[in-house]
Amino acid sequence: MTSAKDSPAGQKGQPSQTESESPQLTGIRILDFSHILAGPFCTRLLADLGAEVLKVETDTRPERMGATRIDPASKRRQDRPPSFLNINRNKRSITINLKTEGGRALATQLATKADIVVENFSAEVMKRLGLAYEHLQPLNPRLIYVSMSGFGHNGPRKDWTSMNMSLQAYTGLMMVTGAEGDLPTAISNSWNDYIGGLHACHAVLQALAERERTGTGRNLDLAQFECSVATIAPLVIASAFNGEVPPRQGSRSTHAAPQGCYQCAGKDDWCAISVENDGQWKALVSRMGSPAWANEGRFSSLAGRIRHHDELDRNLEAWTRQFTPLEIENRLKPAGIACERMRRMNEIVGAPDAGNVYRWMEDPPSRTLATGLPFEFSTSTVAPLSPAPRVGEHTKAALEEWLGLSAAKIAELAATGALE
Amino acid sequence: MVRIVDLTAHSGIYASRLMVESGHDVIRVEPPQGDAVRRLGPYLGGTPNLELGAFHLFLNAGKRSLTLNLDASPGRDIFLALVKTADAVVANVPLPLTLEEIAQANEKLAVVGVEDDAGPELCAYARSGLLAITGHPGKRPALLGGHIVYAATGLYVAVAMSAALYGRQRSGHGQIVKVSIRQCLETLAEQSMIAYAAEGKITQRRGYRGAITAVSGAFPTSDGYWMASMPTTPGRWAEFMKWVQDPVLMADKSLEDEAERLVKRDFILDRLEAWSRQFPKEQMVEEAQRRHIPGTPVAVPLDLAQDPQLWARGFFEEKEHEEAGRPVLSPRGAIGVVLGTSLRPAPKRGQHNAEILRELGFSEVEHRALVESGAV
Repeated sequence: MTSAKDSPAGQKGQPSQTESESPQLTGIRILDFSHILAGPFCTRLLADLGAEVLKVETDTRPERMGATRIDPASKRRQDRPPSFLNINRNKRSITINLKTEGGRALATQLATKADIVVENFSAEVMKRLGLAYEHLQPLNPRLIYVSMSGFGHNGPRKDWTSMNMSLQAYTGLMMVTGAEGDLPTAISNSWNDYIGGLHACHAVLQALAERERTGTGRNLDLAQFECSVATIAPLVIASAFNGEVPPRQGSRSTHAAPQGCYQCAGKDDWCAISVENDGQWKALVSRMGSPAWANEGRFSSLAGRIRHHDELDRNLEAWTRQFTPLEIENRLKPAGIACERMRRMNEIVGAPDAGNVYRWMEDPPSRTLATGLPFEFSTSTVAPLSPAPRVGEHTKAALEEWLGLSAAKIAELAATGALE
Repeated sequence: MVRIVDLTAHSGIYASRLMVESGHDVIRVEPPQGDAVRRLGPYLGGTPNLELGAFHLFLNAGKRSLTLNLDASPGRDIFLALVKTADAVVANVPLPLTLEEIAQANEKLAVVGVEDDAGPELCAYARSGLLAITGHPGKRPALLGGHIVYAATGLYVAVAMSAALYGRQRSGHGQIVKVSIRQCLETLAEQSMIAYAAEGKITQRRGYRGAITAVSGAFPTSDGYWMASMPTTPGRWAEFMKWVQDPVLMADKSLEDEAERLVKRDFILDRLEAWSRQFPKEQMVEEAQRRHIPGTPVAVPLDLAQDPQLWARGFFEEKEHEEAGRPVLSPRGAIGVVLGTSLRPAPKRGQHNAEILRELGFSEVEHRALVESGAV
């Protein structure tokens, strides 16, 4: 892989596709105090873009990230749970005991050498540790400081604790998902952590660009609550103006009908169908064998299909129930109708027609399936996949490289308990 | 401040909104009849109006609008002239021009192409593994509402664009970035992938109960629902039991371990629901937060418009709006609130045609001719 020094900088025109450059964030140092998911997901994206991410951990309370039981008989790596291996790949680990004065002093010194500090504690924690922006900025005016608390560092609810599910509820996701009359409907993943992490990553990249021009850093006090509310802001605007909440759409659209999830043969199998125009509707009718109900006038226009959507759905589902989701796909796709079976991971991992964003990574003693970036640059490369660090694996190396500490000095620090 | 030329469709457009929040000059190039995002309801006032769609008002806030017909010259030529003055172009493909043709017009350009390579929103969602984990157990799965999914894909587009722009500052030249919507959605399903790849488990729809940790869910109250999500750190369960005081749960010491709670979660949640029904939701939420348990209301969008935390943080402004006839809520957004950005209302169709064409060196006479020919 060519490095930035090898690529022909300063040539006219865009580099040809055979030339490649090192990742955009090469040389950028991130001191990462974040834990669990939102912050670590953000720093993983930045690591993929080439940054050196130094994750601050402590031996006294290693991050468990979920309650997966360790299996002594398993051939897989056992020092971290599987989710940790995925989220924290491409990072380094240093152990610092922030409960000791020596540990906090060391963290401060590292922060003066960092381009970016990331943390996702609740509002007051970094202040108490003497590691808030107000402490670090005078020592390092170029520092970009990213906080990713639940609700931000000011306001009446800044000290509220939050986790994914409570945010799914509080940000309105559960009551805009599903159809009218449904119970609150959630997604079985840490959705808000991904939304928060992505916003933070964008904010960091913007601050880095700004710093190139101004020479100074920024304090980015992000609230995960606001990141998620922003994703349904249109409905908040409409509700405020109209004085009422728009009806829940289920899986329907105002621009396609029929559209929905239809049950197929089997215990819990479904397909998604979306008919966007009258031509596709006619094709669907034909593929269903031209049943009498489908040829009735009220279904011939999009407006009519929307008006009679309930009846349309009942009839369509009576048809889909006869077939497996794959059979439905094979019948409808060739006719130009948008149709996808509801896939579970067993039909995605290893599937030749999947998106290919999951990539195997050597992770001794075995390997880990890692999530890559869903975009590709024409000239910039991204960092090659590398395993998540063992606890404190890079303590010595980081202290040497960032602070120039000698082996003797490091041993001295270790003796005080600052490096636990 | 950089200049972004924006031709995104719904799956990419949140990216250009985020660029406005970050303080940049975003010019939205639309067809003369206006873009598709204007045609998404709900509408302020309830009837379709190309200036009052809620998605348009939020996603296009702070942008300038230039209408162009890109299918032929001179619309294409004006577009390329505009591109020469820009720092980035972001667009859903295919376009009447290729990304390479756009890149050739300006060697310093960051060109971001978004590929809707998994079909319409619901179908892409089904294909990604996300549909399989949204909804209630055994019941019809659901698409996340409010087109939240496209905000997520737009976030990836913003990251790709911001990375390309930063890289450009260091290298001095632009490049082309291609974003795959199919891959964006699959990355969001990675927790299901991890459970499957590492443990052979298929993640199920769990409604709102115990999706990640055992004790999490919407619990009915005397007057609605509240959400509780109890952290799994050691000792929290014991603290929680001090509040709940359930003798049956407290008698089972094995429940102090999260792994055991996951196994017995339905039993635990049933008992907690019976307890919760006795009290009103505000009381539950306040008491939970007092005890450092993440309790929150189950909110609807109207609740959020009045939320005290959002208003205190400066998340909302109110802006006068001519077409609407009265002030409209104008969120600064998650990035805008941190940077203190105040966004102009979303532009009318072609509102900035005269201004932009003037910037590009066209006279008023030339502008009129372009309008007459249908190029603008």
